[in-house]
Amino acid sequence: MPKIIIDNHEIEVPEGTKVIEAAEQLGIMIPRFCYHPALGSVGACRVCAVKFLEGPFKGVQMSCMIDVKDGMIVSTTDEEAVEFRQYVIEWLMLNHPHDCPVCDEGGHCLLQDMTISGGHGMRRYLGLKRTYRDQYLGPLVQHEMNRCIHCYRCSRFYQEFAGYFDLGVMQSANRTYFGRFKDGILESPFTGNLSDICPTGVYTDRPSRFFGRRWDYQRSPSLCINCSLGCHTTASARYREVVRQEARYSEAVNGYFICDRGRHGFHYARNETRPRRALIEGREVSTEEAIRAAREKLAELVKSAGPDSIACLGSGRSGLETQAMLKQLCQEKGWQGPSYFMDKSLAGKVKTAVSRLDPELAVSLHQLEGSDAIIVVGADPINEAPMLALAMRQAQRHGGKIAVVDPRPIFLPFDFTHLPVRPDEINLYLSALIKGAVDPQLIAEAGKGAAEFYQVSPSLEIVADSLQEKASILAQELRAGQKVVIVCGTQIVRETTPALAADHAQLLRAAKKQVGLFYLLPQANSFGASLLTGDEVSFSEILEGIEDGRVKSLILAENDPFYNFHDRQRLDLAIEKLDLLVVLDYFESAAVKKAQVFLPTSTLYEGGGIFINQEGRLQAAPKAYLGGISIAQIGGGNHPPRVYGRDIPGGEVRAAHQFLTQISNGDQIEDDDHTQRSLLRWIADNITPLPEIPPFDELAENGMRISSSDNTPPYFAVKWQEEKDKGNGLEDSLEIILTDWTFGTEELSSFSPPLRKLERSPCASMHTKDAARLGLDHGDKVKIKLDEGDVEVDVCAEENMASGAIVLPRHRLLEWQKIKSFPKFVSYEDVKKVST
Amino acid sequence: MMNYPQVLFKNRKPDRIATLEEYRQSGGYEGLGDALSKASHKDVQQVLLDAVLLGRGGAAFPAGRKLMTVADDAPHPRYIVCNADEMEPGTFKDRVLIHADPHMLIEGMIIAGYGAQAEKGIIFIRPEYESAARILEREIKIAKEAGYLGKNILGNGYSLDIVVHRSAGRYICGEVTAQLNALMGKRANPQQPPPYPTEKGLWERPTVLQNVETLACMPHILRNGPEWFKNLALTETGAGTKIFCASGKINSPGCYELPMGIRLSEIIEVHAGGMVEGSEYKACLPGGASTRFLPREFYDIEMDFDTLRNVGHRLGTGAIMVFDQKTCLVAATLNLVEFFARESCGWCTPCREGLPYIRDLLRRLEEGEGEEEYIPMLQQMSKHLWSSYCAFAPGAVSPVESLITYFEDEVREHISQKKCPFK
Repeated sequence: MPKIIIDNHEIEVPEGTKVIEAAEQLGIMIPRFCYHPALGSVGACRVCAVKFLEGPFKGVQMSCMIDVKDGMIVSTTDEEAVEFRQYVIEWLMLNHPHDCPVCDEGGHCLLQDMTISGGHGMRRYLGLKRTYRDQYLGPLVQHEMNRCIHCYRCSRFYQEFAGYFDLGVMQSANRTYFGRFKDGILESPFTGNLSDICPTGVYTDRPSRFFGRRWDYQRSPSLCINCSLGCHTTASARYREVVRQEARYSEAVNGYFICDRGRHGFHYARNETRPRRALIEGREVSTEEAIRAAREKLAELVKSAGPDSIACLGSGRSGLETQAMLKQLCQEKGWQGPSYFMDKSLAGKVKTAVSRLDPELAVSLHQLEGSDAIIVVGADPINEAPMLALAMRQAQRHGGKIAVVDPRPIFLPFDFTHLPVRPDEINLYLSALIKGAVDPQLIAEAGKGAAEFYQVSPSLEIVADSLQEKASILAQELRAGQKVVIVCGTQIVRETTPALAADHAQLLRAAKKQVGLFYLLPQANSFGASLLTGDEVSFSEILEGIEDGRVKSLILAENDPFYNFHDRQRLDLAIEKLDLLVVLDYFESAAVKKAQVFLPTSTLYEGGGIFINQEGRLQAAPKAYLGGISIAQIGGGNHPPRVYGRDIPGGEVRAAHQFLTQISNGDQIEDDDHTQRSLLRWIADNITPLPEIPPFDELAENGMRISSSDNTPPYFAVKWQEEKDKGNGLEDSLEIILTDWTFGTEELSSFSPPLRKLERSPCASMHTKDAARLGLDHGDKVKIKLDEGDVEVDVCAEENMASGAIVLPRHRLLEWQKIKSFPKFVSYEDVKKVST
Repeated sequence: MMNYPQVLFKNRKPDRIATLEEYRQSGGYEGLGDALSKASHKDVQQVLLDAVLLGRGGAAFPAGRKLMTVADDAPHPRYIVCNADEMEPGTFKDRVLIHADPHMLIEGMIIAGYGAQAEKGIIFIRPEYESAARILEREIKIAKEAGYLGKNILGNGYSLDIVVHRSAGRYICGEVTAQLNALMGKRANPQQPPPYPTEKGLWERPTVLQNVETLACMPHILRNGPEWFKNLALTETGAGTKIFCASGKINSPGCYELPMGIRLSEIIEVHAGGMVEGSEYKACLPGGASTRFLPREFYDIEMDFDTLRNVGHRLGTGAIMVFDQKTCLVAATLNLVEFFARESCGWCTPCREGLPYIRDLLRRLEEGEGEEEYIPMLQQMSKHLWSSYCAFAPGAVSPVESLITYFEDEVREHISQKKCPFK
């Protein structure tokens, strides 16, 4: 490893380290604008100039462009280098407007910092300033081109890093322009990162514009809970509301960036419609009164119908504390549940995924970026977990080959091979591809289990003729790959797929490859929910109980089945039959409106919480602020807003686990920390794979990996291969596949006003061949006959998807909840064009 | 008047371009035939190196050495690119060459292509040279029909195709790496090596880029040998002839093929018809807008890459722009800087922002609003522009630096008189 001396300090760094990076390790921050660790060095801004005194380079050179070599002696304080850097700042400031007072970047602006620290205080240039026309770039990013210092970070992130091309560089010389060809909404779902990486105020966060300076905000490390990846964020709160969320660096998970759904998905916590007061039959009451009412009613029911007349439903969007408290409550009281999943098959898939996630196979997003072959089965990264797509793009940029086996019309911002097969064929194709990718010799040496499994695996012959060529090239690429990752979804796949993915990962490992297994789970804390799920009743069993009168009360802890359950009619009838519905939640769900007793719970931002992401990484978010109704809302436009009292207005909300504790024992509220500590204690004692969880501030930056594997030795379930999937639909039918979209389907972000502006209106995707057979054109309206009525929706005819399927988004604006059970098939006669 | 041998302009006619037949009659395609039948591509590289053929686009890099940097085991397809993006102000030799004898360029490209074992040739031509582009397209077709291009050239197994690519038109496209980016459909930003284009150029494949004049020299070197070529020059260090584009306050502006190393005074007085009546030589730009003003003291200098380099100047493209005692060099420099400020690609800060700053200072000086402090500012900024990303900005400030070095008094007069003394 080469050694370098920078400002008289010696440091040894790995080969390929840039001088600017070596200096940073010494604590010397060389100024930079264009250099960004994720985007690399390009030598455009020239502000990182230092003087090379000894070594292969001499004189003033850019520290971002030169690799550290033995014998280098560098001075960052050399007079010539300092003078040059001063000129760079002066040049950059020639045209930069002095609008810092009205610029949202002011206060955390790199250009501001560099101008001040570079000592450029007096303007010498007498010429006019250059001006540009700004563009409308959509609801998330504000464009202000006059401020641009041309560091090229935006175009490099947008095009090179993220793979979208509707924003870039235009014109030349000192008219160089960064923007779109013409005004319009940015196409990428990663646009918010432009505000993060812009070293000045060209791109700023539009929804939170003019709300505060960085120093005004209570900034707190937080987590994104809008999908299962668990990206790190920084939440900024002011005047009792979270107003902005930015990417927080995480080496293992999201790196420097987050997606727009995660960035802007927090509005449920600040919306005016958020229920802040406890309700009894829709009447606002104090939380104490509501808790008392709930306790009394529950006690009556226990008396009259027994403890098992009460059932509990939790969810994967609650923190581990709430999930665990719900479990503790059910265990102690003998109530039914809790269930955390909407249907049994999903619970099964998640449980399989979690229990088969061998710690040696589990990979982080960061590790996935380093793989040279990725095979995705039954997952749609850009729609289900956008940051996964960004990580896959990095693998692809470094030469990795990507294959996706999925029926849906998959889009990814890079080149990949799509095998659009029906859900019942996913297993077959996965097996065939992996079989084609391993060396039979190595498998034979690996032992009986692997050999037998290999033997019964279908070979590439099963691949449809139209996909033969693609599949065989893919198998070759996978065979050539040394670091292979299998990404497996849990939503649209059959129940056997997650286990099969694990077995195939083991098979690849037997073939001496470095293998990663990466599951996507339905919600931010589905992992935690799965760890807590034993042999409790499923939600449909609870519903059966309600239907036959055994279950008389339902407690919904941060779950809204009216949004999530697939059979709305059945749900409505069941809920009506209940004697008591208790709802705990933090947004205005449909369930809240039906509750006899409602308790307003705190969000992640006011309550904090522990979440375990899909790779088993336990992470914690502390409270971002103390809670309460925002000053803007409570003031009703008056200034200063006055509400008299000793408490924070709207501060009655409490963490769901605390309400559950109170429902359980009726004690006076203990302080948050105490309840949390005792809960963590209970978790460590009762939930097998979970260790003692340290206090938040002692938890490592990247959390802790939970080893959730059930420790069965790697086994190869021949039976899955033998069973295959018997295509349990009707011959000649269309399978209804419910899917996520980046915007418009995920529950929490569906409350975000800026994201609502980005939602596409829902449509039913089907293969052009199927559309033609049905006499449908792209854009036609159809009526699809489901179990409980019809759904009316526009048709999207697509080439790049499986035929024999209709893909419907679980869109908040689509009445899709008319399905009795999965998999759901409809006949061609069930799809009718609606004449308009 | 001394008559020097005309090599590149042998077939130059006042009214039309030379035909393939005329080119052949003058020995055209003989060098290629010899090379393909008798010499290996390595021999070709060596001959060009021995001939000390230096890049005529201005950088003076040895053409033979450039070919040698293509590794033997480098991947294919490889590219030979002809830089016909002649945008250096005052330079018009490539256009004249193409209009005089296009097959000389085509043969040169085939030879260079053979030397690099390239399969594809691209002529990158500036859009204003539409007539030259059409000539080349027509003559390439003719060459192909005659068996000089396409598959299995002259039956010797080597294959090359040439296409003409019209630039979208920016000065920076003349820079090697920017030109390659432009060819790949990217922004014409330079790309700092490594990797060098001969290692990873177009689409990551070895790419050799040569100026029109450099390529045009190659057939003659192959046919007549390196010694002959070296002997064409008048100086020990020089080799070959050089096309000088003379312009400015002279009686006969134009393109002159003269031996390398010829004295500047001889070019002006003998070949370019002398200074116009009433004009005295004050200075010239010896090789285009990105070279330094050559003042009176160097009037007799031998025009060769080395001799000029030894006195801190550059031969550049050999485009001699002559200024007389009545010309304000502040205004001339301003004019040049206007050009460079406009043509910057906008990639790095010193060039993108520093040049307009210099332009502003020069404008103020010229308009009589100059201040004493502008002189050290111009000096400092010019010095710092050498730390920009590519060679564009150092070229752009060459006139500025030399203005202050040699004509500081003239600049000061602008300040003290609060106006341009020439107005």
